[in-house]
Amino acid sequence: MNIQTAPLETRGRFFVPATHHRVGRIPSTGYVCVMPYEWKKSETCADGWELSLWPYRSLLKKDFVLFFGATAVVIALPLMALLGQSVLWGILPFFAVTAWGLWFAITKSYRSGETLEVFTATRDTVRLVRHTPKRPAQIWETNRYWAQVHLHPSDGPVENYLTLRGGDREVEIGAFLDVSERLALYDELKRALVQGIKIPD
Amino acid sequence: MADAAIHGHDHEDNRNFFTRWFMSTNHKDIGILYLFVAGVVGFISVAFTVYMRLELMEPGVQYMCTEGARFIADATSECTPNGHLWNVLITYHGVLMMFFVVIPALFGGFGNYFMPLQIGAPDMAFPRLNNLSFWMYVAGTSLGVASMLSPGGNGQLGSGVGWVLYPPLSTSEAGMSMDLAIFAVHLSGASSILGAINMITTFLNMRAPGMTLHKVPLFAWSIFVTAWLILLALPVLAGAITMLLTDRNFGTTFFQPEGGGDPILYQHILWFFGHPEVYIIVIPGFGIVSHVIATFSRKPIFGYLPMVYAMVAIGVLGFVVWAHHMYTVGMSLTQQSYFMLATMVIAVPTGVKIFSWIATMWGGSVEFKTPMLWALGFLFLFTVGGVTGIVLSQAGVDRVYHDTYYVVAHFHYVMSLGAVFSIFAGIYFYLPKMSGRMYPEWAGKLHFWAMFIGANLTFFPQHFLGRQGMPRRYIDYPDAYATWNYISSWGAFLSFASFVFFIGVMAWTLTRGKRVTENNPWNEYADTLEWTLPCPPPEHTFETLPKQSDWDKGHSH
Repeated sequence: MNIQTAPLETRGRFFVPATHHRVGRIPSTGYVCVMPYEWKKSETCADGWELSLWPYRSLLKKDFVLFFGATAVVIALPLMALLGQSVLWGILPFFAVTAWGLWFAITKSYRSGETLEVFTATRDTVRLVRHTPKRPAQIWETNRYWAQVHLHPSDGPVENYLTLRGGDREVEIGAFLDVSERLALYDELKRALVQGIKIPD
Repeated sequence: MADAAIHGHDHEDNRNFFTRWFMSTNHKDIGILYLFVAGVVGFISVAFTVYMRLELMEPGVQYMCTEGARFIADATSECTPNGHLWNVLITYHGVLMMFFVVIPALFGGFGNYFMPLQIGAPDMAFPRLNNLSFWMYVAGTSLGVASMLSPGGNGQLGSGVGWVLYPPLSTSEAGMSMDLAIFAVHLSGASSILGAINMITTFLNMRAPGMTLHKVPLFAWSIFVTAWLILLALPVLAGAITMLLTDRNFGTTFFQPEGGGDPILYQHILWFFGHPEVYIIVIPGFGIVSHVIATFSRKPIFGYLPMVYAMVAIGVLGFVVWAHHMYTVGMSLTQQSYFMLATMVIAVPTGVKIFSWIATMWGGSVEFKTPMLWALGFLFLFTVGGVTGIVLSQAGVDRVYHDTYYVVAHFHYVMSLGAVFSIFAGIYFYLPKMSGRMYPEWAGKLHFWAMFIGANLTFFPQHFLGRQGMPRRYIDYPDAYATWNYISSWGAFLSFASFVFFIGVMAWTLTRGKRVTENNPWNEYADTLEWTLPCPPPEHTFETLPKQSDWDKGHSH
């Protein structure tokens, strides 16, 4: 699951119409984000392709650096004034705990966004793998011919719920995307299952 | 693999009362809990002021007697002034208001409830941590009240050292009361820091797609700035009071001159926390007032970006002006000049905000509904407090005003009137959203006018008293100060009556108020995401990401 690095820098996301190629990013790895899913052709199999999806996180790594930098500067202010005095040791531990807590909280929040779903199609089979931090990967696999994608506009836990059928059980895909993204993904996925994908090189 | 869950996934709220309110991890429920507890503590804290104003109504001591505290003056029986009781009341009024009323109401209450809604997040980043923050706040409050009722200085109950807990007064106060007060502030601080970390993470990482930092609604921004100030200021306070604790109990001499310590250093540390603290109190109020004024002027807020950066600037400047609270401790001329100039600079971003609010109303279709009245009251009173702030920022002038009622009037105008009026603006503005019921408009207006007149009557004469030279924190005063003290006391009683009336209005609204059926009972200028939800919102909101068109109206940024 290589997520492609794009040279493009943007805030938020914009829709790229009528192409199968979407640039992706997982915030915690520093990639740039346009849509939180990405299509690519398989390198090993002629008819194969791969789709990766991940949840949206709004804090860009560079903004994290900016924020933590500014925080550190203001923390340094009282500490510098107290250098060389015993009172410094009364204050320092509390700042250390707070700064660690903030760092831990933001990275934990990033980690919760590291869920990655990878849907791969080869000539005969399709396979969905869901990677969740600190848990074994969950795998669903079936014959490509029988694989179907279903849209549930209102009867799912979320609007425009997407599921895959054809294997031993029905599984969800892209539940963390937003409503319009799931709708777009539904069309693209349905077409890809039938026709394969075309990516302009 | 996450199996598909198409059927039987209902959103019915089937929590019982105990589960919902005592084990809650839901940001909306925790917000309501914060508001209620802050209201109860606020009532206790306000009740102290009524008793204090009763005592100050006439020269001499009639009520706080060593022979026993009275509620009815009795000239026939003897009354020896009980200074300790007086000191205890001013101390706990300050401690409760600063740590357990205003911040929990604005930051804990409105912040918890509306910040995640405005950014389209399903909940806080760490819901269980949120629950911990709330209960630590309750525990802190309980310790604070316990401290007031446990053995303290002068062989009586409670500590009478003032909310700033200056050594050597606080380190020599007898009894366990002082230690309990320190623990209370510790818990409140820990609760605030955990809350701040939670808010910051939520704000930074859980905004809806497309909601860049320059598009976040102003209230959510104000909560973020406040959270950041808490994160930077509270550890300093925690360190300072921990050192007080060790000075009291373990023989350290951080602030004891006889062991090489420096009591003035405690003041520096305390105010390095204390000045940002006043912005922590008032900045969420800025956020609420911005939304109220825009809604009831039927115009988008004027100067969205300057409004955001003014809040950030006020936050940053708040950290470099602390010693203006202590011009009289013997700083060098250069130090005083710096703190004076830096303090005056704060008037610039504050002015940007005041004028942007006025410009928002300019040419708008202004409607004087109750929340708008409170917001306008805030605007007026905060400006009055700001102007006396500029007067006090002058180190030379402060020589005269230091520790007089002029200072009392100043900070009550910005905090008691400024912040509290913004709390009431928020309560009336969001009451239909939070409860699904509408308050009676006449009652809200009556509450406003009674409180507005009462509060001005209380605090405006205190400027005159300060200029006459009446010092703060005394139980008694010479006859020369009698007139304005008498008027001030009547103002306090009127304000208290309005507060009691407000409790009645809330009780009536929550049980019998007219049901609100539409999502947005105001108008289309209340255009943030919370107004796209039903009143009251369901247990789970924005579990799916909101559409950009729901919140991005394009006109306000």
